[in-house]
Amino acid sequence: MTPLSFEQMYEDEWTELETALDRVLGRKGGKAAARSPVSGARIAALYRRACEHLALARARAYPAYMVDRLERITADAHQLIYQRREFGLARVKQLIAVDFPSAVRTHAPYVAVAAATLLLPTVIIAVLVYKRPELILSVVSSETATSFEHMYSPTADSIGRTRTATTDWMMFGFYIRNNVGVAFQCFAGGLFAGLGTLFFLAYNGAFSGALAGYLTARGLSTTFYSFIATHSAFELTAIVLSGAAGLRIGHALMAPGRQTRVQALVQATRDSAVLLYGVTAMLFVAAAIEAFWSSANWIPPAVKYSVAGVCWTAVFGYFTVQGRRAG
Amino acid sequence: MPRGVLDTVVAAETPEGVLLELRPAGLGARFYAFAMDWVIRLAIIYAVGVATSVMGGIGLAFWLILLFALEWFYPVAFELSPSGSTPGKKTFGLKVVMDSGLPVTPAASVTRNLLRVADFLPFAYGFAIVSMLVRPDCKRLGDIAAATMVVHVPRAVPRIALDEVASVVPARLLAPEDQAAVIALAARAPRLTGERLDELAALAAEVSGDAGRSGPAVTRRVLGVAQWFLGRR
Repeated sequence: MTPLSFEQMYEDEWTELETALDRVLGRKGGKAAARSPVSGARIAALYRRACEHLALARARAYPAYMVDRLERITADAHQLIYQRREFGLARVKQLIAVDFPSAVRTHAPYVAVAAATLLLPTVIIAVLVYKRPELILSVVSSETATSFEHMYSPTADSIGRTRTATTDWMMFGFYIRNNVGVAFQCFAGGLFAGLGTLFFLAYNGAFSGALAGYLTARGLSTTFYSFIATHSAFELTAIVLSGAAGLRIGHALMAPGRQTRVQALVQATRDSAVLLYGVTAMLFVAAAIEAFWSSANWIPPAVKYSVAGVCWTAVFGYFTVQGRRAG
Repeated sequence: MPRGVLDTVVAAETPEGVLLELRPAGLGARFYAFAMDWVIRLAIIYAVGVATSVMGGIGLAFWLILLFALEWFYPVAFELSPSGSTPGKKTFGLKVVMDSGLPVTPAASVTRNLLRVADFLPFAYGFAIVSMLVRPDCKRLGDIAAATMVVHVPRAVPRIALDEVASVVPARLLAPEDQAAVIALAARAPRLTGERLDELAALAAEVSGDAGRSGPAVTRRVLGVAQWFLGRR
């Protein structure tokens, strides 16, 4: 059989598959005829035939244009037939109801290590700075320290910011960008054997510890703690979870087990991607609370503490109980 | 095939047992695509910044959120669209696919783009550049972790234009690979200068029984043999 007679024999099948693919993928002129349905079974059958023809054409060293055409048809059909659909509301519901909380539970050891890495420096530095407030100057400059005091003074219009003219909305945008950046850094640091993650967690922990210790020593504890209590339920947990995802990656690289390092890495990122979806959502919630609720000075601290208690309980309850039955 | 050694083609096997050839995009093409996306993002940020500056706090909030979204999710949104590529990648004929040749999954797209933070270190995408230069499949760290690849979208190979050449019966039988070589020469003929085509055809002149001779007449006879192998007899 010559190349041309081969082409002639199967031309009709290839054209049919090409037209069907153009219509399904909505390409060049395919849209006009997109009304009438395309038979999936027919595409699959034509695809298998085209695979067979491609193998023949390669084995018989048929001309490049023919092999190329068959390669493109099979590649397109392959993409269409084997694509995974992960979109839609049903998927989002599944993520919130089951996948995210159960991913947190499967990563429990990493979550524990990440939490310890964040909180130990926080507590240690906080106590140190509380005992000797001048130590804050080794972390920030004296102007920044003074501006912190202004931000959290009980007489400020709104807590946690220096410029009073800015609105809640602006701070909302700022918090999202800032906090998500920190969280994603903690995750990506995992690629460096987990050391990047540990560093970012400890660094952010130490910094907030220094701030807490300093403001407590200055007698501003009520404004400060009532400010952070509510949104930290979401923000701190989210940063710990992104740290856990980073540690999972680092661990996979260091101790890949019975897989190659790259295989272990791919598996680890695939598993921890769910954590990142959840982290991003939680940081949006945290930024909204921080901008509109935490900073409001007219809400009495007692109310803020009670709401904070509800939030922390809800977050912990969500991660320990939600989705167990389905899992 | 020795091509596997010389070329950077990556073969992905389908469940039907057919090997799909993926051509990873190198540093150069990816740099141009990145630069273009970067300029597009800057333009959007600037335009929206001017437009929202009159709106005060809410405008600023909108702008900051846009900044955040463009920073992290601009590539994700485009990679998950049917074309699988950002405007920059599309312009330079690139596309993001999974290692298996399938469209990129949401999880893979999110991870490969969040890991840009790691690729960016120590400065100016240093690790990404080293990784792309070292690996034959030109992956950056985010691609390795997410099992994705940036590939050239294949361009259609033109049909062989040999209609006016008279078919010539070959002087001797050839193995399929040698037939393919003669046909490939005919396919390249329109893109070669006349002199170069004559030189190359002289190397294959044996197939038309013209061994040792060269010139336009010999070239026509060699192309005629290609015509015969193709099936026009």
